[in-house]
Amino acid sequence: MSATQSSAKMYKYDDFDHAFVRDRNIEFADQVARRLSGEITEDQFKPLRLMNGLYLQLHAYMLRIAVPYGVLSSKQMRKFAHIARTYDRDFGHFTTRQNLQFNWVKLAETPKILEELAQVEMHALQTSGNCIRNTTTDQFAGAARDEHSDPRPWAELIRQWSSNHPEFTFLPRKFKIAITGARKDRAAIRVHDIGLHAKPEGFDVYVGGGMGRTPSLGHCIRTGLAGEQLLSYLEACLRVYNRYGRRDNIYKARIKILVAALGPDEYKRQVEDEWARMDRAKVDAPVAEIERLKSYFPDPDFKVASFDRVAFERAQTADAAFARWIKNNTNPHKRDDHVSVTISLKPVGLPPGDASSAQMDVMADVADAFGYSELRVSHEQNIILPHVHKGDLYALYTQLDTVNLSTANVGKITDMIVCPGLDYCSLANARSIPLAQDISQRFEDAKLSDKIGDLQIKISGCINACGHHHVGHIGILGVDKQGIEFYQILLGGRADEKAALGVITGKGLPAEAVPAAIERVVRLYLELRTSDDERFIDTLERVGRETFAGALHEPA
Amino acid sequence: MKLLTANRLTDGLTLWYAGTPESGTQESGKPESGTLESGGWVEDAALASRLSDDDAEALLIAWKLRETDVVAPYLIPLTDTGTPVQREQVREFVRANGPTIGQTADAIASAHNRADIFEN
Repeated sequence: MSATQSSAKMYKYDDFDHAFVRDRNIEFADQVARRLSGEITEDQFKPLRLMNGLYLQLHAYMLRIAVPYGVLSSKQMRKFAHIARTYDRDFGHFTTRQNLQFNWVKLAETPKILEELAQVEMHALQTSGNCIRNTTTDQFAGAARDEHSDPRPWAELIRQWSSNHPEFTFLPRKFKIAITGARKDRAAIRVHDIGLHAKPEGFDVYVGGGMGRTPSLGHCIRTGLAGEQLLSYLEACLRVYNRYGRRDNIYKARIKILVAALGPDEYKRQVEDEWARMDRAKVDAPVAEIERLKSYFPDPDFKVASFDRVAFERAQTADAAFARWIKNNTNPHKRDDHVSVTISLKPVGLPPGDASSAQMDVMADVADAFGYSELRVSHEQNIILPHVHKGDLYALYTQLDTVNLSTANVGKITDMIVCPGLDYCSLANARSIPLAQDISQRFEDAKLSDKIGDLQIKISGCINACGHHHVGHIGILGVDKQGIEFYQILLGGRADEKAALGVITGKGLPAEAVPAAIERVVRLYLELRTSDDERFIDTLERVGRETFAGALHEPA
Repeated sequence: MKLLTANRLTDGLTLWYAGTPESGTQESGKPESGTLESGGWVEDAALASRLSDDDAEALLIAWKLRETDVVAPYLIPLTDTGTPVQREQVREFVRANGPTIGQTADAIASAHNRADIFEN
């Protein structure tokens, strides 16, 4: 055992949880057996398999596994590697919901996979359907220097409250909650059905954000909400939505449509009225329970070792690639002798968010060796080691490099959010991954990428916006134009604390024209920026989208 | 002309109907019992049978009854030139060929009408 290996500090199943998941798995195994024998039809079976995270996609079944608020142990990551090797095609895909999808599972083997997941306290429940989905949060939770409140206990509280909640199992449409507890919003809370900002004085509650067909930024309807009142307030928000949400029209069924129709003030009035009438004591968690949940997430036993700064700097001088990785892939930690490390799943020319079983095993190994056995999945589709002692960074980097996990591009132009697109998804209109591969190859030069600096490209293969194209600095939306893929370009979106929706700029482009168009926009940015520190989004906001529109659509 | 496609129930993989209008079906129009292979289904889209509209509709109805074998069967209409109709062109190309990961955009643009799969 290495110096830092330990049990990850995270949620723990109690007897109830184990029994609940076991019973659901037994139930689903029976449903699968009855489907295979012909006892139940596909129409009868489809809603049942979806409730267990099993979709039928373009080429095969896809199983979506919940990673609660993106928190993983090394043991769980190793289980993913085992499942990828044993039941799939040796890889998995980390998603923008901080979950994991296997794209090639067999129906007959799904019960066995769920049984394996239950062994490591995981499942695929509520990863589909019109229920409350996996709550997402800041990938640096509990570690970030700019954090004022750890969102994980609250995410766990919401998970327990929303799991199999009888009142909210059949909502008008799916429902997504995100929480941040830091100065910087890394959880994109303004584009969720409910976004929560945990502050020392209580929660700011944003409602009615979302992307998809009708993008909208959430409206703040309450500030300073006490943590011990969180569940009852959420319940009031959900009740008003459940009562008046448009069940007659799937395209108008999300809460953002209701909030827009009522107006944020009227929606808030109804929520407050519901909240005032409700028996909150029956809903809210007792303070002791909240404290118990907080006790799941203590700091790890931080490694106490002297940090040899001279040797660290010497290593960076000797290895420019390591120096670049340090600069791009580490985030300030609350302890001076630690950092958070982002392992990029965006190597140039490969599918964003994918990891092979061998890579998963190495990520589990380095988490044990250098990261207190803890990992996170970010909504940007990368993997994070939240706590790494600075003295271990070179050894960590070297080990990651052996399996092509040392790409130093976090936050840069090739670190794109990309949905599976038409290569896998039955809803998509256009492919996303090959386009991302083309763009990453065009910008693979490290010096150029670093010169460009922070720039977020986000690609969706259809209007459902799983690739978050509305909030990319440059967003790309794939559309189907009489059987041919075209891509609309949006400029000016952002998902951070200054959230904004991008605007479609000009006509759609064929796939082969997109990388050059992006390059023209980027080169214009480099000409226009006032200093190396002025980011793309800052320049764009200063000079306006129209300045860039010409470059985007200039003939090649 | 149409192609008949579906997913296999047990593993979800894409299948293509490569039999004749009569193969694997009884006079009643219902598929005979037996394996998918004997019923005319293959995984290789290049082998898919080009069926007349009437034959395709009859086979679709017949195979919808075989729910323990195939899931979500549907027909892909073909144009005179043998490619799927425009609305479904890219989607059916990907469905027929599998994920296109690793292809360049130029390759994708030129490959939409892969002749060896949708030729007359």
